[in-house]
Amino acid sequence: MITFHEVNKFYGNFQVLTGINLHVKPGEVVVVLGPSGSGKSTMLRCINRLEETSSGQLTVNGVRVDDRKTDLNKLRRNIGMVFQHFNLYPHKKVIDNITLAPIKALGVSKSEAHQTAMHYLEKVGIADKAQSYPSQLSGGQQQRVAIARGLAMKPQIMLFDEPTSALDPEMVGEVLDVMKTLAREGMTMVVVTHEMGFAREVADRVVFMDQGKIIEEAPPEQFFSAPREERAQLFLSRLLNH
Amino acid sequence: MIDFSILVNYFPYYIEGFLNTILASVLALIGSFVLGSILAVFRITGVKPLQWIGTAYVEFVRNIPLLLIVFFFWYALPTFGMRLDGFQAGTVGLTIYTAAFIAEAIRAGILSVPKGQMEAARSSGMTYVQAMLHVVLPQAIKLVIPPLSNQFINLIKNSSVLTVVAGLDLMYFADKVNGDSYATVSAYVFAGLFYLVLTLPMSYGSHVLERRLAKSS
Repeated sequence: MITFHEVNKFYGNFQVLTGINLHVKPGEVVVVLGPSGSGKSTMLRCINRLEETSSGQLTVNGVRVDDRKTDLNKLRRNIGMVFQHFNLYPHKKVIDNITLAPIKALGVSKSEAHQTAMHYLEKVGIADKAQSYPSQLSGGQQQRVAIARGLAMKPQIMLFDEPTSALDPEMVGEVLDVMKTLAREGMTMVVVTHEMGFAREVADRVVFMDQGKIIEEAPPEQFFSAPREERAQLFLSRLLNH
Repeated sequence: MIDFSILVNYFPYYIEGFLNTILASVLALIGSFVLGSILAVFRITGVKPLQWIGTAYVEFVRNIPLLLIVFFFWYALPTFGMRLDGFQAGTVGLTIYTAAFIAEAIRAGILSVPKGQMEAARSSGMTYVQAMLHVVLPQAIKLVIPPLSNQFINLIKNSSVLTVVAGLDLMYFADKVNGDSYATVSAYVFAGLFYLVLTLPMSYGSHVLERRLAKSS
């Protein structure tokens, strides 16, 4: 469903991604781990071309993302994205945050968009906040709205860019629970996170990155109990023994 | 010291100047807002030639005196076969000049909307224009209102530049009153009061608007 083939990316002379090869199958949950600055978020953001690749091939659903001729808006309608800082629209109510893209980008009617939005708000457990503004919500609630906003486009793929990193610790659980439900329902997900528990429990596969390269790729049991690469071992020991 | 009979005797002069100042200001306000918005968008699109045009315009116009720009339209244009009267030359000069500042105010407003807003909108499949229209600009407007109203107040005051090209504005008629009556202080004090009639409500209005917008966010 998502295929990276020898993808490289440069910022000027600095190489951010080096020889990325990765294949994500439909319904698969891939968790990307690695130290800060290792290129995890950049790789994720290439999938919907928030970042441009410099060379190599990147396909989503058989469509070349790196092709200039690709209809970017059409491609993106099928890929939901959740950001570290939620990026809700502060001037719009929760319900309008969710209905905006379906109405504008999909051309869905207002009443249908409203219905869909309420459905997903219920799913993430905050239907009662539909008429609130984002600033009136806690961080965890905001991030759940952001997930509902992504889902309302009924995408086949959801991307998560450190969705819990900006949250107070006691709110991490509520967001991860929503993500777990999604995973169980068969959503194709690529998740950049530092939540090891989530990776261990939900991931079909863990991808470990360092310095712009994929160092190791393994099922979570194997990755967490016996990482092959030294860099991954070091990373895990630092995380687990602090 | 202040002779109110001057105001009474020359009232028609003041009113004509006052109305011309309003007309020049409104025309320049509309013109500079439209031109300034276009230039601001030029500067942020990321399309290099447009960006270059926008930057060159702003940097060039902002860094020369308003008087010089008005002189250009008054003295230089006729050599190219175009003749504007004083009012036209002054108003066009004012528009060209103010547009540079308005472009900067609008650009700064758009740029201070966090980048994540555009990214969120674009990543959900909205076009650049849709994202601008529904997500970025509504947030930018709040940030732009205080500097923009400043620019508009400056514009009204700067319209006094029309005097030097015989633009029939308020200052021009104040000069006339002075020349006619030799009551210099009174002649200009009343002109000042007429300017305040225009600028004070604007200043007050922008504060009210600012507060109302601050509440809604």
